[in-house]
Amino acid sequence: MNAVDVQKARKIKKLQTWLIVLGIVVITIWSGIETDFSFESLIFGSREAATFVFTDLLPPDFTVITGLIKPALDTIYMSFVAMVIGAVIAAFLSVFTAATTSPHPALQVFMRAYSSLFRNIPVLIWTILLTASFGLGALVGTLSLIMVSVGVLTRAFAEVLEEIDEGQVEAIRATGANYFKVLAQGVLPQFSPGFFGWSLYMLEINVRASTIIGMVGGGGLGFVIQSNIKLFQYGQVSMAIILVLVIVLLTEWLTNQIRERII
Amino acid sequence: MTLLQINNLSKTYPDGTSALKGINLSIEKGEFVAVIGPSGAGKSTLLRSINRLVDPTNGEILFNNHNMVTVKSSQLRKQRRNMAMIFQGYNLIERTSVLNNVLHGRLGYMNTFSTLLSVFSGKDKEAARQLLQRVGLESQMYKRADELSGGQKQRVGIARAIMQEPELILADEPIASLDPLSSELIMNHLYTICKEEEIACLCNLHQVDVAKKYATRIIGINGGQKVFDGSPAELTEDIIAEIYQSSKKVLVS
Repeated sequence: MNAVDVQKARKIKKLQTWLIVLGIVVITIWSGIETDFSFESLIFGSREAATFVFTDLLPPDFTVITGLIKPALDTIYMSFVAMVIGAVIAAFLSVFTAATTSPHPALQVFMRAYSSLFRNIPVLIWTILLTASFGLGALVGTLSLIMVSVGVLTRAFAEVLEEIDEGQVEAIRATGANYFKVLAQGVLPQFSPGFFGWSLYMLEINVRASTIIGMVGGGGLGFVIQSNIKLFQYGQVSMAIILVLVIVLLTEWLTNQIRERII
Repeated sequence: MTLLQINNLSKTYPDGTSALKGINLSIEKGEFVAVIGPSGAGKSTLLRSINRLVDPTNGEILFNNHNMVTVKSSQLRKQRRNMAMIFQGYNLIERTSVLNNVLHGRLGYMNTFSTLLSVFSGKDKEAARQLLQRVGLESQMYKRADELSGGQKQRVGIARAIMQEPELILADEPIASLDPLSSELIMNHLYTICKEEEIACLCNLHQVDVAKKYATRIIGINGGQKVFDGSPAELTEDIIAEIYQSSKKVLVS
């Protein structure tokens, strides 16, 4: 490349950068216009929101806390049960999904598509679909959390399985071990840290998601929030929101502690 | 008595690399055979073909009258028990104990259910303990394998291999990742145990002097073909040059 070519290449590179910046600006403005976004209403709206928070939502009604314990526990139960059941099912399915352990490539492709379906249908949609057949309540919440947990964890576990050290697996195979023995003694020890790590992370996600799905009929604190909004019982709403925050932060803290201990 | 007879073995990898081009060799019971040759000569492919970690393209591998190239999977697993492998990268299960790693040598003999629960028999545990004592690692028995040094890991690798009570050990560059001192210790262990237990050993080596020191017979491989097969005494400087020749040419050009 001579000097002229280098100059030319640099100019093209510069032009590209500017085009990308311009593109982002255009798309942002266009989207803003299409969605009626305006700073004026943002400022005006924030004032409204502040008034709402300070006069209606606050102070939280601490007297209802006893009545909120049951829904709060429901939220935790749902998330935990969904995580455990989801992790067990996903661990089983991921063996067929990972290239390293799948007995057949066709099965692997099928399982990937299957877990992708479970994962990419949002948890809210699952809840709405399932309330149609199971009615309102914590069971539906748990079921939809399981669906998504299975989808997410199957993919995550499959990736863990694909990153294991093949040499160790080979060594077990060379002793004359069959497929199941190889899985149990060669694959499992390498799989378990990833298994626990991802499952704990799933628990955190489930706790957050469970409040949202409560609002569409999945039970737990989300359900309390939704029904009290309709009744204009804002003191109770804010109390429930505080409980959600406490649970989310507690789960995060707890899972971090466990992670540090066992991994 | 012939333990292993390889006839016209060839292997072409899917990418077109021809790693083995018609290898013929035989191993007698209790022999200690070193395989030497430049990198990429096909030494590893040869060893890994014997226990079918690699599927050969052509030829036959007769081990105890079973053709390893065509055996059904259940028979393949049965024969794999009789031919243990030692790896360059040790390939221990890092996250489990030293003792368990040695016990893995029994996997081929155990029933699947107890394997799933990691229940090993008392007899096996005692045998594993004794083997670890023989390689000087009894005190490290309950440590996790990833806590050991390279040389210690390879000693566990040897113990795991012996635990299979094999008739043949396939050692694929067992000392290539070790310092000279550990290398000598490992070769001594491997040699003594094979002699004491009357196990034949087929050992890939990089170092010609090591091969000459331990082997009862040396096989030279270059470009996927056998270019030498004889006693260490017959391996003259000229022949060594010939074995490593083409790789030297590549270096020069």
